[in-house]
Amino acid sequence: MNTIGTTTTGTTTTIPHTGDRRMRVARTILILIGTAGLLFGLFVLFDTVRIARLPGVALWLGAAIVLHDAVLAPLVFCCGLLLRRAGRRVTGTIVLVAQGAIVVGSIMTLIVVPAIIAQSLAPTNPSLLPLDYGRNLALFWLAVAVVATVWSVVLYARSRRANQRPSSRHS
Amino acid sequence: MYEARCALASPVRNPRMAVVIGRLLGLAFIVCFGTGVYSHFLQEPLPWMRFPTRPAVLYQFTQGTHIVAGILCFPLLLAKLYIVFPDLFQSPPVKSFLHLLERASIALFVGASLVQITIGLINTYQWYPWPFPFREVHYALGWVLVGLLVLHIGIKLPIITRFWSGRAEAAADVDAEQAARATVAAEEAVRLWGSRRPSGVTGRLITWIDATPAAETPTTDTTTTTNTGTGTGTGTGTTPTTSVSRRGFLATVGIACAAVVGLTAGQTFAPLDAVNVFGPRKKGVGQQGVPVNRTAEQAKVTASATAAGWMLTLARDGVERSFSRAELEAMPQTEVELPIACVEGWSQLAVWRGVRLSDLADQVGADPEASFRLISLEERGSFKQTEMGPEYVRDPLTLVALELNGETLDLQHGYPARMIAPGRPGVLQTKWLSRIEAITA
Repeated sequence: MNTIGTTTTGTTTTIPHTGDRRMRVARTILILIGTAGLLFGLFVLFDTVRIARLPGVALWLGAAIVLHDAVLAPLVFCCGLLLRRAGRRVTGTIVLVAQGAIVVGSIMTLIVVPAIIAQSLAPTNPSLLPLDYGRNLALFWLAVAVVATVWSVVLYARSRRANQRPSSRHS
Repeated sequence: MYEARCALASPVRNPRMAVVIGRLLGLAFIVCFGTGVYSHFLQEPLPWMRFPTRPAVLYQFTQGTHIVAGILCFPLLLAKLYIVFPDLFQSPPVKSFLHLLERASIALFVGASLVQITIGLINTYQWYPWPFPFREVHYALGWVLVGLLVLHIGIKLPIITRFWSGRAEAAADVDAEQAARATVAAEEAVRLWGSRRPSGVTGRLITWIDATPAAETPTTDTTTTTNTGTGTGTGTGTTPTTSVSRRGFLATVGIACAAVVGLTAGQTFAPLDAVNVFGPRKKGVGQQGVPVNRTAEQAKVTASATAAGWMLTLARDGVERSFSRAELEAMPQTEVELPIACVEGWSQLAVWRGVRLSDLADQVGADPEASFRLISLEERGSFKQTEMGPEYVRDPLTLVALELNGETLDLQHGYPARMIAPGRPGVLQTKWLSRIEAITA
């Protein structure tokens, strides 16, 4: 049995048994259709892309997994850890708001940074990437920070009020 | 110890959350696939294929949706991977041959998904830092991904059906919510203190991960605010408030989705133009208020397109007629309002004026059922020569355009003459036309 649901081996045993047969049929059909789609995709890949270019595709697929699993995900954990340490004296909800703000800002950064790089590479077409993406990204982070701060202040004030009623020990 | 493990398990890393985010991501994948395949066959139709020409904004809508859904995949995919990440370190890593296949399929699924959305995004910036052709690989990966998605749904079907409904979960509170958490804890226990505790880097990594609270989901929350009043601040002794953490996680994902779409979709969706601060294109920016995909310089047509002797030739079975720009201007002119909609997801409504293609086809007596080949002055490029089915050739909105937004067509927009047809990708709206010929079957 698995927490996340990435391994099914054994999970089936926890399912109510009434629909077992229907479930098996449905899964078989889905797995067969899915495999057919996958194989067709691989056929298209091999059919339309020159053999010499295929190692490049494999390299990118592998690099994507490594980048996510070995760089991005640990980085997220690391940030979580740091933020948690930094935020020990505030309420959990405020930590949550700060984390949310960082996540939103980071995802936007992931999307916009390639645009900034591309803009610096190809200035041949003035209608392509016409905006000041660096400035806009900075303003976005600023807006996110402002919203998160205001939100946190509101939450802090609310929790303070709530805490002062039963006890006045909260500082 | 059990309580501590309970507290360490992240409340969003559970099957219900995997299903909640997973079905949104799956939907986004399906939308991307559907709109992508439509766009693909518009560009490379099978011989029997005919396409709707109305509504004229159809391609603007489908391709705009393709890009919006693709951008949505960034927060959704990262959230999904965040939820299932600890499964990377399952122990033992491989239980059986089937399990190996399953894990291999998931590795390919993750890698292909990340590559697909990344090259899709960066393609809209017209930057190609990869060692393979974009169009072919993006299309093939589309099939690979939709296959893997169906396969994944098949493999996970028991979990998906069980955790599909939140109400069922709430009703069977102990069964689902508590059991899920107990399962999490049990799993953590096996992972941390079981006989098969992994050693080396992986083991340390797992210990580190398990000892680290999740980034978006601290385990202390509003119900613990009364506890924080005690000033201990350690958080380790508090019980996780799963609902608040989950709400926080979902709110974060929701806000990220709204931000990435809201601040880019204005390049195709006019009401969001005012907040288009990150889109690779901006409505109204470009010569004559219309963005340009490929410039005359890139296409190397600056000399040939401005040459005095330019003629547009129409051909059918050996019958040929050539028209100078002045002759085209002397023919009955039609004005249409049509969007130019690029495969890269931007679109721009504009007013075009020129000669109906069907009128020109009639000049050479072409068969009403004939497809046409459109040939540009471009010397090289995938779209210097394209084909157009009769449904577009005979559409009254399809023009050989000579004017754009009330002015002579700019060189960047295809001067001396270009195609404009309803519901077609921009790359097929051939610029710098040189020759139009009926294809004989």
